[in-house]
Amino acid sequence: MPHVNRRESLFRLGTSLGSLAFTSLLSDEVRSKEKLGPLAPRDGHFPSKATNCIFLVMEGGPSHVDTFDPKPALEKLHLTELTRGGEQKSAMESGKRYYVQSPFKFKKHGKSGADMSDNWRHLSAVADDLCFFRGCQVDSVNHPTAMYQMNCGNRFGGDPGIGAWVTYGLGTVNQNLPGFVVLPEVSYPQGGAPNWSNGYLPAFYQGTPLRPTGSPILDLSPPAGVTAERQRMNLDLLTAFNAGHAAQHPQHAELAARLENYELAFRMQTEVPKAIDFSDESEKTLSKYGVGKAETDSFGRKCLLARKMVEKGVRFVQLFKGTWDSHDYIERAHGNLIESVDQPIAALIQDLKARGLLETTLIVWCGEFGRTPDNGLRGGIAYGRDHNPNAMTIWMAGGGCNAGHTIGATDETGMTAVENVHHVRDFHVTLLKLLGLDDNKLTYYHAGRFKQLSQFGGKVIEDLIA
Amino acid sequence: MQSLFLIFTVFIAAITCNNTSYGQQSTRIDSEILFVRRIAPLLREKCLGCHGNNPQEIEGSLDVRSLAGLFAGGDSSEPSIVTGKPDKSPLYLAATRNSDDWSEMPPKEAEQLSAEQLTWLREWITSGAQWPSKPQQETIQKKFAEAWSLEDGIPVGTSGGLSPEWTDRKYDPAGLWAYQPVTKVAIKGTRNPIDVLIEQELPTGLTLAPRADRRTLIRRATFDLTGLPPLPQEVEAFVNDARADNIAFSHVVDRLLASPHYGERMAQHWLDVVRYADSSGFANDYERGNAWRYRDYVVRSFNEDKQYDQFVREQIAGDELDANDPEMIVATGFLRMGPWELTGMEVAKIARQRFLDDVTNSVGETFLAHSLQCARCHDHKFDPVPTQDYYSIQAVFSTTQMAERKASFLDDENTSGFEEQSYLRKLQQSHQQSLAELDRVLLVNAQRWYRDKGTSPAAWDEAIKNFNASGRTVGIFNAARSALRAAGLEQKDYPPKLVDFTPAQFGRERIARKGLQRLGWQFDRYKPYALSVYNGRTKSVTSVMAPIRIPGNRLKSGDLEQTAILTGGDPFSPGPPVSPGILSVINDQLSATISDSIEGRRTGFANWVAAAANPLTTRAIANRLWLWHFGEAIAGNPNNFGSTGKKPTHPQLLDWLASTLVEDNWSIKATHRRIMMSNTYCRSSHHPDPKALRELDPQGNRYTVFKPRRLTAEELRDSMLAVTEELNPTLGGIPCRPEINVEVAMQPRQVMGTFAAAWVPNPNPTQRHRRSIYILKLRGMPHPMLEVFNTPAPDFSCERRTASTVTPQVFSLFNGHNTHTRALTLAALALKESGNDRDAIKRCFQLALSREPSPQELKEFLTHWREIEKALPEKAPTHATPPLEVVREAVEENTGERFTFTEPLYSNADFVPDLQPADVNRHTRALSDLCLVIFNSNEFVYIY
Repeated sequence: MPHVNRRESLFRLGTSLGSLAFTSLLSDEVRSKEKLGPLAPRDGHFPSKATNCIFLVMEGGPSHVDTFDPKPALEKLHLTELTRGGEQKSAMESGKRYYVQSPFKFKKHGKSGADMSDNWRHLSAVADDLCFFRGCQVDSVNHPTAMYQMNCGNRFGGDPGIGAWVTYGLGTVNQNLPGFVVLPEVSYPQGGAPNWSNGYLPAFYQGTPLRPTGSPILDLSPPAGVTAERQRMNLDLLTAFNAGHAAQHPQHAELAARLENYELAFRMQTEVPKAIDFSDESEKTLSKYGVGKAETDSFGRKCLLARKMVEKGVRFVQLFKGTWDSHDYIERAHGNLIESVDQPIAALIQDLKARGLLETTLIVWCGEFGRTPDNGLRGGIAYGRDHNPNAMTIWMAGGGCNAGHTIGATDETGMTAVENVHHVRDFHVTLLKLLGLDDNKLTYYHAGRFKQLSQFGGKVIEDLIA
Repeated sequence: MQSLFLIFTVFIAAITCNNTSYGQQSTRIDSEILFVRRIAPLLREKCLGCHGNNPQEIEGSLDVRSLAGLFAGGDSSEPSIVTGKPDKSPLYLAATRNSDDWSEMPPKEAEQLSAEQLTWLREWITSGAQWPSKPQQETIQKKFAEAWSLEDGIPVGTSGGLSPEWTDRKYDPAGLWAYQPVTKVAIKGTRNPIDVLIEQELPTGLTLAPRADRRTLIRRATFDLTGLPPLPQEVEAFVNDARADNIAFSHVVDRLLASPHYGERMAQHWLDVVRYADSSGFANDYERGNAWRYRDYVVRSFNEDKQYDQFVREQIAGDELDANDPEMIVATGFLRMGPWELTGMEVAKIARQRFLDDVTNSVGETFLAHSLQCARCHDHKFDPVPTQDYYSIQAVFSTTQMAERKASFLDDENTSGFEEQSYLRKLQQSHQQSLAELDRVLLVNAQRWYRDKGTSPAAWDEAIKNFNASGRTVGIFNAARSALRAAGLEQKDYPPKLVDFTPAQFGRERIARKGLQRLGWQFDRYKPYALSVYNGRTKSVTSVMAPIRIPGNRLKSGDLEQTAILTGGDPFSPGPPVSPGILSVINDQLSATISDSIEGRRTGFANWVAAAANPLTTRAIANRLWLWHFGEAIAGNPNNFGSTGKKPTHPQLLDWLASTLVEDNWSIKATHRRIMMSNTYCRSSHHPDPKALRELDPQGNRYTVFKPRRLTAEELRDSMLAVTEELNPTLGGIPCRPEINVEVAMQPRQVMGTFAAAWVPNPNPTQRHRRSIYILKLRGMPHPMLEVFNTPAPDFSCERRTASTVTPQVFSLFNGHNTHTRALTLAALALKESGNDRDAIKRCFQLALSREPSPQELKEFLTHWREIEKALPEKAPTHATPPLEVVREAVEENTGERFTFTEPLYSNADFVPDLQPADVNRHTRALSDLCLVIFNSNEFVYIY
């Protein structure tokens, strides 16, 4: 595909100065380089079902005990005092603390009997497509460090995001779209853009945020008043001018790559708006995702966009939804948040399934940590929960995960994981494995050692894989 | 392998002669020797980590601590070894990494066995997989100690590792180059020693590229030393200088070294290494109001050609050297460059440890070219850096405490522009007003609460009355709650916190309360304080939400930290205590005794780092300087001189530069001059024989030709401003805020519990058009254009910039407002200065590319100009005035509901726009398209 377009643009040059030199630059060397380019699709280390990933980050730390991990014991303990101590306690944990029961009722759903609170009115319909994991633990109780750890493997930021690692490992199918697309909310999550950074990997692997407002990609279009025609004219002059320059610097190989980059950008400029255009989606589809309904419109659009991206060959799509940091009023806050994501996510799973894409698309739903079964008594009536790095629920769907199973367990109150307990690094290793990548081989030399997503290596959690 | 067999032969001969009891069992003996010599260390290094070191957690139940364990096998229950048959032995098969039945071991590819190690393993199994008894192992070890020692490489003395094996291990001398004393080779003759040392390493048959033409050379030199393009008149003066090439060029170099912009350019390099930013990162990403003073200190230091050893001492220990000199206080900002915060959600001790780890690693990387963090949890895997040294260096800083310290402004600091505070004051008032309004809402809600509850508000009303009477006007609701609590009322008997707030009120309250907190950090910018440190005990704090000042009782109050080796790097698992110290591997050349009293530790350490005899320090800076001119360092990893870093391509040259730098009184400028006056630096980027170059210098590191480089992000932005004559050349001062993409500027950026303020550009063009080094650098919000052109994020030290080619660069440069505005300004300037269209195009070429257009180019550009002009409408769209407020939508944390809030953008009222399309005629607008093409051209963005 790209070759044809480039040739077209080449012919359009006509007899501009330096066109001969330009032609000679597009030698086999350049073409083969393009084939082996940093984003060219390539095989992973293992055979795998999943080729793409949609990673749903519920920023702020959703409460497992109010969503997918019911704790009836809390009903008896409700508002009884809990004492915690130790040198390692943060200021957040000071003062008197009380157990708080979940305001939500739970039911079992599907053949698999998956636990879900009643608020998941839509997701419960696809319960058997989900694989719940209750054994994950992280190191940090604080949002940005926990976010960095979940999204990049390293608590302190600066490391490549998971999507960067995956595109580094697998490249991407559609060269006219970014390989790693991020769909943030209007407000960026805590820790900001470093959550989808390329870190020390080459810049090709950086996540490209498609913004929900304004230009989806920064400067995707020229300023108002610059028509496509005028831009093409300018691009042709630039190409010709660069060709003349290249003729004088035949030994400078990077010139060709930079020139090619302008043509690629020009193609993306038309491709991206098409990829994010909903006009070819039926009313039915839009309403299935909850697009147009106040509560679900924002996340519904993201989920639909995620499906379109995957369809068009984007390797990794990461969605953000905040903020689940419900220190107070858990019923109201979590209730509203669940409502805003429930229908869109269920629609995404059903839609992918209907299109035969669920098998090859791994969906992950997670926060940066779970929440505590207790809270400080804040203002007398505000029942909320604090951050909990020792217990959380992550679920996956599609892409060869062990759908229809709940793996691992937390203790009686949900304070800590007790069965099939794994550090998040093992979850990362498993995620890569599901995508056909071996964390121990997916390494990059930086600052004196080979670095990897799991930091120092981890174990595959076999129970999460079908 | 050969040497191994040689030793066998010698040994077997020895055995046969001396100890007949072994005579008949040479295979068994071979196997035993091989075990002691190779297999035991191999198992220790590659397997025991997961298969035996921790008996409670043995992976796959395979215990490799004994032969019995190997024979027992793991989960598969198959023995790991089939004696005599390596190809049937799972242990061997797993290690080969190409067995269908056994997964690859060790799991990490980076740790796989070398071909040589595989041969040992194979040989050992073939020869009977003997595992001699402990005494027998010792006997063998003793017998061969000397022979093996010779073969193994050399021991290195250090303070000692956690295990005797580590302490006694041998090193390949090739990986120890950096610890050797710097030796300066004598160069005979009068030629520039750099040229001699480069040329003596030339592959036979490879010729040198000729000297670059003057036009190319002045562009190269000007960008290298100032980060800006040369002025057309400077180019012409040099091109027409009748003096000999080297004399004419030496005048250019001297002029550039004297330019104040030299310091800015070098500071940019330095700030990359030390991770400069104007904010703290993480959850709050608070602005570090005073960081700019450290940035300017670096600019000043380079401009003054401060002796490098002094520069080092000041940054590590300036406050100890002279606490009365503000410059010295500012210099220690270096120690504060890492991201850091302490919120109430983090454990204080962990946050403190993060600072200590950060600073330990940072001094190692920055000055000693050693990434010390590798030794935080264990002795260094490859280099002679024991974990003991890591904590000894950390102990140097265990009485170092963070503070924004008083340091009066110096005469040569730029303190202009402080009047921008007035906008912050308005914002402060707006937040205070919000809180006051919300307080009134709460008081009304409280009354309703009592009504709904059906209890009497008498006590409450009394409290309110008292506060009103005392003249209190803010926070009355909260004060009344506290008063009732203090009076012994139960929580259920007075109104709860933030009673009956709507989601929008919850949101507004947080925005105002936390906004005031954030302003506290911002106001510090205009006060005579510096991002710095002091010595003292460690105070117990639970969170840091405002600038820290030095406490009055710093020497008495708090804990006197006793640094200890932390097991696994965990601050809650202290091991043996350590005293302040240095990197012990060079102890034999340069030792130091460092005080362990509260004060003076850093001075002792800094003197050791900055000693002329410290081979790491002198090589590290010489290596960086070379990198800053050639785009490649002599030792390819300037932050890592250890065995995993790239070895120097020209070790003698590196040493010559390092020792000459010291002889030149540590003058950085003298080193630039020596480098730039070499033929090596002045070579053309065209090689006369490219085929020979490819074949004879495949690595491209023989310096027969000058490597072109792409402008850095900052150079690119600054060059456009310079070419359009908009660049404000003022040095230093508070950070500036240029216009950026509105999507990014207005992006509600979530910080802890609230949103950071919008990015509001400075109102005046002169403030906005400052050099990029002065742009406010927020960790959580990278500048969009600089980011896509590879400005490093300030999380890790950047030892060398990369220059990848990615599509967002095209969007930024070809579509972005910045380039379009610069192009328009250049067009207007060129037309103003020229009598006709041809001259206007010529002027654009001169200003941007330091040359005249060729006749053909002139023709092409003129044609394009006419065509564009025809296609353009007569009138350009009128420009919008910037908004005075922004309405933002967000999800409120307490309720999970959407709410909107309005943020005032006060300084936009005074905003003076750059030149706009509507300000000029169609002819100018059409020319601006040509300028846009020039700014996007390869010729503009590459330096040859």
